[in-house]
Parts: sequence; structure tokens; C-alpha cells
Amino acid sequence: MTNVVEGFSTELAEIVKSAGPAVVRVEGRRRLPASGIVWSEGGIVVTAHHVVERDEGLSVGLGEDQKADAELVGRDPTTDLAVLRVEGIELSPAASAGLDDLSVGHLVLALGRPGRTVQATLGITSALGTSWRTAAGGSIDRYLQTDVVMYPGFSGGPLVDAKGKVLGLNTSALRGVSLTIPSLTVDRVVESILSHGRVQRGYLGVGVQPVNLPEALAEELGQETGLILISVEPDTPAEAGGLTLGDTLLSVHGEPVRRLDDLLSMLSADLVGEEVIVRILRGGDVREQKVTVGERQ
Amino acid sequence: MTGRLQEFNEQSARLAAQVHRSLVRVESGRWGAGAGTIWHSDGLILTNSHVARSRQLRISLPDGRQASARLLARSRDLDLAALTVELSDLPTIELGDSEKLQSGNWVMAFGHPWGVEGAATAGIVIGQGAQMQGRPAFGHNWLAVGLHYRPGHSGGPLVDSAGRLVGINTLMVGPDVGLAVPVHEVKRFLKDSLQRATV
Repeated sequence: MTNVVEGFSTELAEIVKSAGPAVVRVEGRRRLPASGIVWSEGGIVVTAHHVVERDEGLSVGLGEDQKADAELVGRDPTTDLAVLRVEGIELSPAASAGLDDLSVGHLVLALGRPGRTVQATLGITSALGTSWRTAAGGSIDRYLQTDVVMYPGFSGGPLVDAKGKVLGLNTSALRGVSLTIPSLTVDRVVESILSHGRVQRGYLGVGVQPVNLPEALAEELGQETGLILISVEPDTPAEAGGLTLGDTLLSVHGEPVRRLDDLLSMLSADLVGEEVIVRILRGGDVREQKVTVGERQ
Repeated sequence: MTGRLQEFNEQSARLAAQVHRSLVRVESGRWGAGAGTIWHSDGLILTNSHVARSRQLRISLPDGRQASARLLARSRDLDLAALTVELSDLPTIELGDSEKLQSGNWVMAFGHPWGVEGAATAGIVIGQGAQMQGRPAFGHNWLAVGLHYRPGHSGGPLVDSAGRLVGINTLMVGPDVGLAVPVHEVKRFLKDSLQRATV
């Protein structure tokens, strides 16, 4: 009877044991504590934004008596991530992995530490897709859905693969199913929060609506639709750059903008403060305006 | 790769067949029926206190034998009851070390959910201890497992990956969270209450 089932069981427990020290308890709300992942050296802990209900009086705990105050470095509600800095307890960062080797059907474990000890649930990868955007506009590098059961307090904890590597951070807040923010996205957001205190987003100051382009122009550009400006806020990069109501955006920084999503993905952190060429259709003519991208507050 | 999975599948089924022999049905008059676990070959059976509610208790074994049972001891705190039947040579399950059970370990539970005889459900240990959400607080350790406990699982055996008894299925606290009384607590209960019963 010494067997595959026993070996399987032991290996699962070993995975939990090896990844467990990087899973912390995060106390930042009135109800049950949630979980967090020790992400990098210097006591950097990442957790879910929605479980950090206050900005101060936060603490992070590991085992029986290891507990320390935590400082909120910053948060990004659009990706449901928050970054904390902890001093005073020894924390060893998690080993993370990308999703290149993951397929639908692979076993995964969700870990959490709402109490003193690490807890685990098992499931399989249910869906794996390309990049997507949250309802709040956050950009997530891959869509990763699992059938692991997210117990109360599991949000902010890691999803680990069969090698014990952290694939990402689990959250139950984004879609009502068990979703994981991939490590790549967490890396990007953590980096941005550590250097700017927040995730920078570009800003123009316009309201837009997709419209069909005149047939001839559509054919010439290979682009059926553009974005018509239905509002231009005063004292904004758009106004300063000479954009006016009724202009139709064709491209920004060389990239065609057919839908709102195209524009949103364009306005990433690296364009903040940059002067970009905006091609517009005004009164039947295609023209170019120079606009310096601002930062969304 | 498929070979391993198939092997796992077959061993899991063999393990289930083995444990199944020690799973009994406990009928409790108008209170309905639950499950029970053979603890000793001379007729000692463990179940939940909430299963053994009636004075008229009847046990059915998987091999078809039936007998009326007498209540030896019960603990409402632990939700455990010890029953005795006038039967011998009952198949038992080897006892496991529930204190060594770790978060992530594979477990299987047996019972009669919704009256389905001898059904199995499998998952992993979520955790153990005094920090379980929704757990009635009485100072004992619970074993939280990620299984589909349903009415009728109560009193049945929870076994580890080697088929050793590690707990008694007791209650569900969420859609996929079950709580079991770990075997080390069962041992303590038997030691405490059976000594008292013989004095």
C-alpha cells in the first residue's frame, strides 16, 4: 500500500511546507484577517487591495508569535493589489514563476494564513487566457482562473504550482470566481508602487465615443472606427495640445485607436510626461497634434 | 504521465474499498440515520453525538449484518458518541497519527450522504487547530478538510493517503469546508469517558 496516493499526499504537504513561510497573515480589516505574500527582500509584502480596509494600524503575522506593524506603501485598486513594508520580523520572499509552463488541467494549490498556521486548498487550472482588463481599468497580463475554493481570508495569498512556485496572487474580488493575478503583473505593480507610491496611468482629459470613419479614410487607414471627442476638460493635456470637441482620434503615438480599450492600454505609465503625436480627423482633414500626456490622479 | 494518474486512481479505489468495510450505518429511530466507524473488532463503534440521538440505535454493517447498539458514552462538546454492539470480528481501520497531519495532505471521507450508501469524497487537509472559521469554540482541535461533507457523512471515517483513520466526519461549515474530530481527540474522549463508565 505504500503507494502513489501516499506519495502524492506527502508531496502536496511538502509544497505547502516549502511555500508556507512566504505566506503571511495581513490584519487590515475589522473582520477576519486575510493573507499576503512576502514578495521581495526588505520586508515587501503584497496583498489584495480589498482586504486592506484602512491605511494605518496594519500588521503582518507569520507564526505563533511573530507579528509586526506594517506600513502601507501604496495600492492599486484597478488590479486589486496593495504593497506593505514590514520591519522587525524575518521574512523570506516567495519563489515565483511565470505561466509559460502552466496548462489547463494542471494541479494548483491556494495557500492562505488567516489564522496562525498556513492553510491550503487544492484544485486545477480551469482557464488560461491572454491579457485582460479589470472593470476598474487595471491591466492583467494573463487570465488565470482555477477551481480552488477560496475560503474566508484566502484573498491576497498565493496560487502555487506543483513545484511550489508562486504563480500569482489570489483574489475573490474581481469577478466572483477564483482568479489569480499572475506574478508578472504583481511584479510590475509592485515595482511601480515602490518607485511612485502608486501605479501611474496616463491622462488626456477627454471623453470619447467610438464612431465609424468615412469609407474612403477607413479603407486608406485600414481602420473602420475612431474615437470622437464628446468632451474636453479644461486645463488638461488634451486642451493644452489643441484638441477640441468633435475631433475624432485616429491614432495616438503611432498606434491606431479603434475602441476605448485601445486608448486605455495606450495610456500606460511610460507615456506620462511624454509628448506624443495624436492623429485626428477634423472637418474632413487628417491632422496631427502634439499632446503631452499627463498623469491621472 | 497518464500511467501515474491511472495508478493513483486505482490505488485510491482500492483504499476506498478497504475503508468501506469499517463504515457502518447508524439508525436512530425517528432522528434518521447517519454513519459510524468501527473502532474495535469486539463491537466498539464511534459516531457523532448528533447522530446517536435516540435510545433505539441500530447498526448495519456493509456485509449485511445488523444489530442493536447500546450507548456507552457521549460528549456533546466533542460531538462524539461511543456505541457497543454484540458482534465480534469486525473489520477495523488502522489508526493514523492525526497530530502529524499537515495542511496539504490527501484525505478521503466516507459516509452515506443523502442516503447514498458508502459514498467517498476526497480532498486535502486545509488546516488543523483552534483557528477555524465557523467552528464551535470549545478548546479542542478540529481538522478542517476541503471535502464535500453532506448530511449522512456524520460519524463516518476520515482516512489519510495510506487509508489510516485520522478523524471522524462531524460537520460542514461552508460549501466545501468540513470539520472532523481528529483521532487524537477521539482517543482522549474514549480514555476519559470509558474509564468513567467502568468505575
